[in-house]
Amino acid sequence: MKTLEEILPRIKELDSMPSVPAIVQPLTALLRQNPDRVKLEKVVELVSYDSTIAAQCLRIANSPLFGRRNTETVRSAVIALGITRIEAIVLGSCVNRIVPHDKWAMDALTFWRHCLGCALVSSRLAKLIGYADPEKAYLAGLLHDLGILVNMVICAPEFRVGIQKAHESGIPLHSSEHQHLGFTHCQSGKILAEQWHFSSDVTAVIEHHHDVINATSACPLVAIIHLSDLLCRMRDLGYGYYEAMGVDLAGDAAWALLVESYPALVKMDLARLTMDIDGAMEEITNVVNAVFKPEPAVAR
Amino acid sequence: METGIAKAAAQPQSQDLKDPAYLKIRDVVYQISGIYQPEEKLYLLASRCARRMSAVKASTPSEYLDYLTVRGNREAELRLLLNEITIGETYMFRSPAQLEALRNVVLPQILQAKSALGFKRLHLWSAGCSTGEEPYTLAMFLLEEKERLLSGWTFDILATDLNDNSVVAAKAGIYGEYALRSTPDVLRRKYFKAHDANHLQVGEELKSLIRFDRVNLNDDSKMTFLKGMDLIFCCNVLIYFDLSSKRKVMQHFYANLLPGGYLFLGHAESLYQVDDRFHLMHFPGAFGYWKPPLGYIGGGKK
Repeated sequence: MKTLEEILPRIKELDSMPSVPAIVQPLTALLRQNPDRVKLEKVVELVSYDSTIAAQCLRIANSPLFGRRNTETVRSAVIALGITRIEAIVLGSCVNRIVPHDKWAMDALTFWRHCLGCALVSSRLAKLIGYADPEKAYLAGLLHDLGILVNMVICAPEFRVGIQKAHESGIPLHSSEHQHLGFTHCQSGKILAEQWHFSSDVTAVIEHHHDVINATSACPLVAIIHLSDLLCRMRDLGYGYYEAMGVDLAGDAAWALLVESYPALVKMDLARLTMDIDGAMEEITNVVNAVFKPEPAVAR
Repeated sequence: METGIAKAAAQPQSQDLKDPAYLKIRDVVYQISGIYQPEEKLYLLASRCARRMSAVKASTPSEYLDYLTVRGNREAELRLLLNEITIGETYMFRSPAQLEALRNVVLPQILQAKSALGFKRLHLWSAGCSTGEEPYTLAMFLLEEKERLLSGWTFDILATDLNDNSVVAAKAGIYGEYALRSTPDVLRRKYFKAHDANHLQVGEELKSLIRFDRVNLNDDSKMTFLKGMDLIFCCNVLIYFDLSSKRKVMQHFYANLLPGGYLFLGHAESLYQVDDRFHLMHFPGAFGYWKPPLGYIGGGKK
């Protein structure tokens, strides 16, 4: 078992991994500007430099989940998706590349199905309750489990044991990590998120999505991601094993926290939201399969 | 999770599915019955509507929507459509995710709570058991757990239906391949005997666990006395009730259940705006409605 202090230098090494796409830094810097000042052609140019990211943008823009628009060029994909969604794709792609193929301790497509599912449910939940920035919820949902990738890379043997034990006993992954690694993906993810200068609210989500009660900032966003994460894990969008638990979402502390700011939550039809997730499952799987598999060449 | 028939149903042309009337029909069905179809599964609803549209000679979904909303016989038509929607849902081991939730989460929780009080007996109720597929599934499930989870426990199942013919058929327990299509061979051999070339009949071991009866869920005098249940299963029955009847039945179910007990509905059914005392509990691939024990303090709306 390692301590967080022991793994810190290894997390720092992740920053200089050659697999991190070269365009990420200039593109994220560009996207952080005031949206009114972002030059569309510059975004298109940067996205086009990276064939993986360009293909992901096209595939997501063409998915029924995002309105299916028969988008054929990077330019039209950028317009169709919008800048925040492009940022999510770029960061997702960047995050995906920190794990070498031989280090995946769980099925990569299962992991990304969970992350994309959480992103979609989070933005849906955000819209339903009137949260001001559903796109931020999408981004935070997509990246909330960054620390799992960190753990796969820097503590591979221990993490493998952790996930195997979670499979066997049906306990939540973070509980098993705590037992077998000595820390959870929330803690290691936070360190990398800070290192990569993720926004403070997304970092808060990464650190606190399993202990909402201890979040000191971005509390509504953390609560939205926490509930969406739970919901996904109960609807076959989890980590690929049976989590033996019953979840009373409306009895969860995160629910109570959200209700204070968003009274609309009380009247939300949770069963209907759940059945909508069931209905979208096939398409979520299709998108993840399309996005995280090798792609053909793309017209600019 | 859709039914076998639903899977096999002809899929209407995608052009037809873009007709917004289908969404309106979906919403009408949901509002009145509680049965919901997500947008991605509208083709299932559309295929069921197609049969009824053909029967009433409605040429467009929009015209058929009128049959459900403004015409004089709309209640009867909705009932016929609901019959189409739920047809084919009556077979054994229809909801594996629900049984997994029972095995892994619900029963361990109930057994622990009852053991602490010195009880070792479980009471289940299949309310609206139709021709018996559900209670026999539960009986097989419980017997299969007798050496493991339920070691040292006894259990009984009450199976009721409004329809006399259904109760008679359920008691007889004779089933063809359709009802048995999800029943593993090992269980067929263990719990059934041959009836004729195409049918099996439930054996005495299963029958001895179940008490069949005719019960109208709207009958207060009978409902009041069905107390002490740990689990109630009521699949695709409440969808035919109006809102006030649903609420009354839910009040009874809540009283019929012991604290900590669960109510399970059909996989596409919702209790939204019908009853807010039950807690909606999510399990992997399934959900149930929970009557929390006395003193339960959730962090949420309750």
